[in-house]
Amino acid sequence: MDGISARNLRMEFGDFVAVKDVSFEVASGEFVTLLGPSGCGKTTLLKMISGFVTPTGGQIHLAGKNVTDTPPEKRDTALCFQSYALFPHLTVQENLEFGLRQKKVGQTDRKERLDAVIENLDLSLHLAKLPNQLSGGQQQRVALGRALVMRPNVILFDEPLSNLDAKLRDQVRIEIRRIQRDFGLTAIYVTHDQAEALAMSDRVFVMNGGRIEQADTPEELYSAPKTSFVADFIGSANVLEAQVKSTNGNGEIELTTPLGRLVATSSNPPKSSKVKICWRPEHADMSANGENQLTARVKHRAFQGHFTDLHVDAGGAEYRVQTNKPAIREGDVVTFSLRPDQIVLLEAVA
Amino acid sequence: MKLKKFLLILALLTPGLGLIVALIGVAVYIAIAQSFGFYNLAGESGFSLEFWDKMLDRKVYNRAVAYSIYVGVISAFLSVMFAYPLAIWLRKPFPGSLAIGAMLKAPLLVHGLVAAFLFINVIAYHGVLNQLMQGLGLWDEPQRMQNDRNAIGVLLLQTWKNMPFALLLLTGAVQSISDDVLNAARDLGAGSFARFRKVIAPLTVSAMQASLIIVFIGALADFSFQVIAGPTNRQSLSQLMVFFKSSGRWNDAAVVGVSLMVIAIVGAGLLAAVTRFTLRGRVA
Repeated sequence: MDGISARNLRMEFGDFVAVKDVSFEVASGEFVTLLGPSGCGKTTLLKMISGFVTPTGGQIHLAGKNVTDTPPEKRDTALCFQSYALFPHLTVQENLEFGLRQKKVGQTDRKERLDAVIENLDLSLHLAKLPNQLSGGQQQRVALGRALVMRPNVILFDEPLSNLDAKLRDQVRIEIRRIQRDFGLTAIYVTHDQAEALAMSDRVFVMNGGRIEQADTPEELYSAPKTSFVADFIGSANVLEAQVKSTNGNGEIELTTPLGRLVATSSNPPKSSKVKICWRPEHADMSANGENQLTARVKHRAFQGHFTDLHVDAGGAEYRVQTNKPAIREGDVVTFSLRPDQIVLLEAVA
Repeated sequence: MKLKKFLLILALLTPGLGLIVALIGVAVYIAIAQSFGFYNLAGESGFSLEFWDKMLDRKVYNRAVAYSIYVGVISAFLSVMFAYPLAIWLRKPFPGSLAIGAMLKAPLLVHGLVAAFLFINVIAYHGVLNQLMQGLGLWDEPQRMQNDRNAIGVLLLQTWKNMPFALLLLTGAVQSISDDVLNAARDLGAGSFARFRKVIAPLTVSAMQASLIIVFIGALADFSFQVIAGPTNRQSLSQLMVFFKSSGRWNDAAVVGVSLMVIAIVGAGLLAAVTRFTLRGRVA
């Protein structure tokens, strides 16, 4: 395959296992995000792909070639660092040319590649400047340009937007995605920002404790999380335990929960007689006409503009509900319903 | 108001800086004046170019100038050359790195004279090294290594003594380079040497220059290593200066002293310029 293939990747630091037997495939031209909380192993995995960390076990193939033991300088990858890592003593132009000169790219080809990147990233006015004379966004563009000019098979991003303000982050996010598409690059993007991951990626690998919990499209991750961790990490979710009471051939599953009886529909059978389930706060239907009707008392209310966030108490536990009825106040008793297909069955309860 | 502030600053600096400037200034003034015939302790004082004229014609003086520059330049480059890889190696702490760093800096605590005597004991005709080599059967008879003609012994001692100082300066500079910058160079295809030449050296050029200059000036004016371990057929400038002074020829000694100062200043400037020129276009 032309993209990236990893088999049973493992990384141990003494007794601590940072990455636990991870396997995945990334197609050529695909944009994949490694998403997870701090310490989940996403940066270690990225460093293994870029060659800065040699895995304790497993193999990495880039464009069909085993590069597990190949040093970074010999890999056809380019990494965009969180800190940008521009060479402070070199001008923007010299920074952009650095890799091309290392790889001894001919002058004509070098000029052609530089011109393309300079035009694409609008850097022509800054070529003679040193990095410390640039703003954060400009530095980010230079770092991106320095990687792109190499025309690598795989481009890697290590939380490249974390140092930018919110507005600039949105702009650069769009720019990165456009450039990745224009150049047809295979991209691996590391972030702990789930909104960034959902907005940019073809697929998201949600990582937890050194493992990939779920690898799916953003839509699938959101609508059909496979574990309570994914459900909770991607957006917000109300997760609760449920006892499976009965199932029928139509995929209808009757559940006993702390909220009472609920009916869910799923194409897959439950993994156990006792499972975790989840539902999204925005799926609560305040018209309360449908199935799975629930009653709860509002504990906290936060008006968010286009919706109102409610923390409600039901069955002795707290849940989150979103509504477009701003008139609801703390202490009110609300009734809402949940569509069976919007109740998602997760992992079995141990 | 500005003048008042200036005078205040001057007054505050005077007790410390003023004393240093006065002491150095007096010594420099006396040396220069003596080299031109003033403050003559053995004859009439008065302006004269005679001492310079005669000294520049002396073969022993010219050989001493060449020899001192040779020792100064080679010692400076060797010290920095050995200090750089060690500084890069010790850049990141690892088990034992503190102990290694302390051991490498130990020569700073050993006086030059003591080191020179220890060295002589090791390389003497009946010294430890000769005995060891003969004991191992590698040499049939003892080798004469002491006071060698090319001053290899002096260069070894100078490097041993000065390398830790260069290491101190360079370690701090190398540690200030972020991992990401070095990794970025690596990611863009730069091997070890290219990373050193294009990233580490330019980003630590100030420490490199300081090391080269300080080691050069120290080695240029070396006396103790030269007297004990140096070649017997050549004299260093400081040795020559002491010789003239001991003979009561203060004006000649002053000419050599001023020569040392001029060579130190010019040499330091040249070393700094060469470093910048070599790293031209890659210096921050």
